[in-house]
Amino acid sequence: MATGQAAGPPITRAARKKPNIVSRIIKHRADYLYVLPALIVMLVVIAFPIYYTIELSFFRTPPNLQMKDKIWTGLSNYSTVLNSSVFHEVTIQTIIWTLASTVFSFLLGLGAALSLHREFVGRGVLRALLLIPYVISAVAASYVWKWLYHSDFGVIGAISVALGFTDEPINFLDNRQTVLASLIVVNIWKEFSFAMVMLMAGLQTVPDQLHRAAMVDGANTWDRFWHVTFPHLKGVSMVTILLLMVANFNSFIIPFVMTGGGPADASHIWITHIYQLAFGRQQWGVASAYAVILFVVMMTLGYFYVKALTRGDENRAGG
Amino acid sequence: MTDMQGRVTRPGPTLHRQVVAYAIAAVTTASLMSTTVYAQSVDLSQWSPDYIRSIAGTETFDTAGHCADVVPLDYTGRLTYWWTGPTEASPQIEHTINDEFWAAWAKTYPNIATDAQNIDYNQLLDRLRTTLLGNAGPMVVRLQILGGVEFASKGYFQELTPEDIGYPTADFWPGAMKSVTWDGVTYGVPTNNETMAMIWNADIFERAGLDPESPPATWDDVVTYSKTIHDKLGISGYGLVARQNAGNTPFRFMPQLWAYGGGALDEAEASPSYQDSYLDNDGAKAALQAAFDMYVRDKSVPTSALTNTQNENQSPFIAGQLAMMIAHPSEYAKMVDLAGQATGADKEVADTVVANMRYGLIPEGPARRAVVFGGSNMHFINEEYVEGGFDEQAAKAFACFWNSPEWSTKLAWTGSNPGNLAGFKTEWMKERLDTIKFLDVTTSMLPSGIPFPVIPEATEIMNIIVPDMLQNALTERMTVDEAAADAAAKVDALLGGGL
Repeated sequence: MATGQAAGPPITRAARKKPNIVSRIIKHRADYLYVLPALIVMLVVIAFPIYYTIELSFFRTPPNLQMKDKIWTGLSNYSTVLNSSVFHEVTIQTIIWTLASTVFSFLLGLGAALSLHREFVGRGVLRALLLIPYVISAVAASYVWKWLYHSDFGVIGAISVALGFTDEPINFLDNRQTVLASLIVVNIWKEFSFAMVMLMAGLQTVPDQLHRAAMVDGANTWDRFWHVTFPHLKGVSMVTILLLMVANFNSFIIPFVMTGGGPADASHIWITHIYQLAFGRQQWGVASAYAVILFVVMMTLGYFYVKALTRGDENRAGG
Repeated sequence: MTDMQGRVTRPGPTLHRQVVAYAIAAVTTASLMSTTVYAQSVDLSQWSPDYIRSIAGTETFDTAGHCADVVPLDYTGRLTYWWTGPTEASPQIEHTINDEFWAAWAKTYPNIATDAQNIDYNQLLDRLRTTLLGNAGPMVVRLQILGGVEFASKGYFQELTPEDIGYPTADFWPGAMKSVTWDGVTYGVPTNNETMAMIWNADIFERAGLDPESPPATWDDVVTYSKTIHDKLGISGYGLVARQNAGNTPFRFMPQLWAYGGGALDEAEASPSYQDSYLDNDGAKAALQAAFDMYVRDKSVPTSALTNTQNENQSPFIAGQLAMMIAHPSEYAKMVDLAGQATGADKEVADTVVANMRYGLIPEGPARRAVVFGGSNMHFINEEYVEGGFDEQAAKAFACFWNSPEWSTKLAWTGSNPGNLAGFKTEWMKERLDTIKFLDVTTSMLPSGIPFPVIPEATEIMNIIVPDMLQNALTERMTVDEAAADAAAKVDALLGGGL
């Protein structure tokens, strides 16, 4: 069937040029009117705070001045943050916190998802039990863990002494060497079930006939996992890992409630440190500069997240 | 030639000029004292437990009648109010009195619609800062004594004196009035004045071979007693508190720091200038060393001190696992409550603790005996920062009612002392003295009270820098000298306008 396009004259560059954005808005004005309320809300609750944070990052805010009387300091807040030894220490802690929480949550979630993928008696109950940490309030969980870990009267320390593993209760939270690892364990406990749910959904997409064919070909359990299951989980794994990383970078409740960043800054991560600078010390300008740096990191992670999500679409479009 | 603080002074002036200066000072002092004595409801120069008992119950007050002269009782309006009221850690009697207050307020001014929010002690300042940025503050706020100056210096508070709500300024402690004064202007009314005491468990003292009826006389004794108790009984001696960003920490550590001759600034001096940090002087280092000795060397205090507030000391104390702590008179009422809730073997232990609970003066140091002159102040927020506008008459009626001799006394029932000194003459004060154990002790500490520096930077110094100094030393992240020098440098940088 011939089309008008094929029968007509060749299309020139000018004729192929897309209409500009104003023309498109005018042409689709009704559509834009429908989404206008949502756009206004987004501008107010997202765009303005971002703009204001960036603006504040160029000012100093002494405790005896109102925000409207802030003093212009240019890039000095960024310089203060980046040259601060505490910032370097907190950055290392943030990286350890994020990577350790993400990797171990993912691996634990993967193990749980693979175990629960098989049919066995009580699978539903076990799946529900493993979801409890994810659905429980983070604040409540933090208080419970705080008492489990308590350096003088904690349950874990008492059991450890009763079983003869240690002579005195283990100092989990009041020790600079152990506090971050202790909080990471709580974080992994809290979020591994999120990875489990995501990966269980991914496992549903693995065709059963592939497994059967591999078994016929003599593949063992590991071979079937590595060559059949895992390739099908790559996409969902990438998304899960990126979501976990973003969540962990922004994780606030567990370190804030359990230690407030202490002792002596040993459990501060970027977000709790920003909070302390802003609300504890009222260094709004420095805290804003810090937040802008965090924002850039998060946007970078977000870029890769979107790329991972749309990779399949691009391949299909290009293919 | 050096003065008492070791600073170099210039060669002395002539004898004649000295005589003239002393004469002027003497006349001025005498004049001020005479004014004070005649204008006050109570005579502060006679302050002692006996004097307080002698004046309690000598006068009666009609709260509604008095406040009606300030704002008519049929006034119709609205009020928004934020304060830190009773919490889960408070004894039951404080909850009861709180309920009685709100019932009485509603009955006295039935046409003032009131929205009152009880906000956690460690969150109130942050929340107020944030809402004021959005012009969404309450009309009236009651803040800890440390918190107000920051907001006054920023212009958030209205000028407010006791006279504005029907009471003479002379009926409030001079130290308390200082805490509501910024740049020569008064921005609030002291609602209550609190000082703490040393609390100990006589039974534990006896079992550790210490005199059960004598508290440690000096801070050096606290270190020694704490070690003795820990070594002999395997429990914590002193309830050290060193959590970051929590008001409990400076309220317990600053008395020790001042006693050894240290200070955040020169707030412990007779005429403080708030210019230089004292956090790295010899006295401050000695106090920090004493804390280090208890936590690191002797391990005689709770390991959890770095994450503890005072609330976390209550459970080990009632369980007989902690021998000494610094707290309010309300701690006794709280322990009685906890003992009442205990069952079985726990009940027996708790009852023993309550029976052996003792209160004594906070120990002395080489320089002085000191306690934080604490408490709270009531402030009016400027209209432009108040959500829904400011109702002046409603705010004044409320401030008059709350700060009346009656409610100033009742609302400080177990925790502190009435901000309005006329409260000491009421029948309710007599009832307090007759029913609350150990009230005399904390009231006796008032003359040793030192207010925190009245500067906008005070909250950061006390709630962040001082706890940080403790944590840096106690975790051995820094030596005692390094931690003191680091804290002093932070204070100097802060006062100099830096980070």
